[in-house]
Amino acid sequence: MKQEIHFVTGKGGVGKSVVAAALALKKSQEGKKVLLVELGDQSFYKDFFGLAQVGYQPVQLRPQLSIALWTGEQCLQEYARHLIKVETLAKLFFENAIMRAFINVAPGLPELAILGKVTSGPRKHGPPLPFDCLVVDAFATGHFIALMEAPKGMAQAVQFGPMGEQSRSIDACLRNEELSRYHIVSLAEELPLKESLELSERLNQEFGVHPELIMNKIIQVPVAAAELNEAAKENSDVGRFASYLYTQKTHQEEILNKIPPRMGKVQKLPLILEDQPWALVEKLAGMLS
Amino acid sequence: MIEKTEILVCVGSGGVGKTTVAASLGVLAAQDGKRVLVLTIDPAKRLAQTLGIEGTKDITKVPNQNFKGELYASVIDHKKVFDDFVARAAKKSEAVKKIYNNKLYQQLSTNLSGSQEFTALEKLYSVYESKQFDLIILDTPPTKHALDFLQAPQRLSALFTEGVAKWFRDPASKKSGFLGKVLQTGTRQVLKVLETLTGSNFIHELGDFFINIEQWQEQLLKRTVDVHRMMTSPLTQFTLVTSFDQAKLKEAEFFSKEIRKGGYHLSAVVLNRVFPYWLNVDSSESQSSFQGIKKIYEEMRSYYLKKDRLYKSFESTIGKDVRVFRIPDLPHDISDIEGLKEIGKLLVEGEKK
Repeated sequence: MKQEIHFVTGKGGVGKSVVAAALALKKSQEGKKVLLVELGDQSFYKDFFGLAQVGYQPVQLRPQLSIALWTGEQCLQEYARHLIKVETLAKLFFENAIMRAFINVAPGLPELAILGKVTSGPRKHGPPLPFDCLVVDAFATGHFIALMEAPKGMAQAVQFGPMGEQSRSIDACLRNEELSRYHIVSLAEELPLKESLELSERLNQEFGVHPELIMNKIIQVPVAAAELNEAAKENSDVGRFASYLYTQKTHQEEILNKIPPRMGKVQKLPLILEDQPWALVEKLAGMLS
Repeated sequence: MIEKTEILVCVGSGGVGKTTVAASLGVLAAQDGKRVLVLTIDPAKRLAQTLGIEGTKDITKVPNQNFKGELYASVIDHKKVFDDFVARAAKKSEAVKKIYNNKLYQQLSTNLSGSQEFTALEKLYSVYESKQFDLIILDTPPTKHALDFLQAPQRLSALFTEGVAKWFRDPASKKSGFLGKVLQTGTRQVLKVLETLTGSNFIHELGDFFINIEQWQEQLLKRTVDVHRMMTSPLTQFTLVTSFDQAKLKEAEFFSKEIRKGGYHLSAVVLNRVFPYWLNVDSSESQSSFQGIKKIYEEMRSYYLKKDRLYKSFESTIGKDVRVFRIPDLPHDISDIEGLKEIGKLLVEGEKK
């Protein structure tokens, strides 16, 4: 089976981590062995799911579903150890104060190391990663572009040698839509949608890929506008709420109408009033297509 | 929050509304008669759009204002800030050109996420030094770990204190290149590993980069100390912005401890978009003849009341010297100066006494 890679991004605060978890759960229910990957050194899911620890090595969350938290430095370390093979040499390399300082600020290196690991399966390069599907809870829009551009930039800066070659092969993987898929999570609000559409356009122009748009937290209003209008006249909390629902319904429709037809696949997920994390993720997984 | 403050730093994780809060605080201060600058870094240029200054990178007076004071805004241009810093720090003009032409420098100054943190503080410091404003509000980069940006100058200067440039400088033996005889065995081995991983082409660019930026050292170290002094001054106050769910609140709890641990002054926490404006937390009445709507109302209400309990327990973890503000979720987007005034007003009204 070919390994699939799913990148989930979007403006900060739109709920992309929860959507990424739902997507990972859904893929695992389809029978795939899935790894949900977080980037950076702070885990969202640790607090969200109340887990003891989320670290570099995958831990199982559910049958067929594991989770890991990767930093650029850890990815680089693992890759270097895989290539160098001599442990004392690897230690000398990473425990050296200068190398540590360098890795911290090296232009593009952490981003490249992360993407190198994410795409190691299809490229058959680096330590094996025994999963059929990776769902990456990626950075928010601005940083996501920086992440995507790192291999391209590095390939331009370094024309020859292993670094240049690896950068080109990672970049090719990111552009191959049979391997890498992109999901941009948005809310039915002006600014998140604008940012999402801009990101989608950029990914399309610079990488030739076609991201899917997931409109999250759509408020379901199963009441006719006329009834809402009538109820809004009532001087009560319910009356004020009815007026809110009416405004929300109209506003949401306006925003949803602003999605251009060239956007391709658009999914809508409702606002779910559920404070139990797993129940929320399961409900969303059931709604994703 | 803004009375005895020269710099106000808005921190918080992505998507909590830092930019809007920063801009609203700017409006409040300008209404109060101050000459205020709001500095933003957001790559989506949200603030620029909100303030109607989209496309301008320099300091611009916000249009359509009618305040006692004056409100200015600026979108940080990373590349320009970085280039200006290099021009000032590098002593020889020839070296400046070489640095600009280095491919790794081009990467560092344009594309990379980490460098935004550096440029934010650099821009803040240079404006602060110019003494043009009574108050500067910094909207920090949308880092996942909101305090990363504070460590950016230290990280960069660590490179120099560790003497990386020395590694790559090899005046004695040009023939053996970077792996020259002057290097110790350990260093040579480390560089060999780096070469195995990356190739000699990369090492060459890297060597060139470090040799050229070596002259930054003095300036960068001095800057790091100055910036740290500015950030820990009692006239620099931090405002932590947070919102919504349990995970975000835990993160906020962690940040508030870290801010204090770092010797910075945390004076306010803003809980943004905590509950919809229609929700009256204290009321229990829900009589209505519209049964369908009443049912949805009850569901939403009970959902938000559960959240309210989370906020209360979060607030109890914040120190008594920190002021807590709550802003409700509004039905419309904030897209102009009137909207910012509205948020400013809600901020003042929403203080937890």
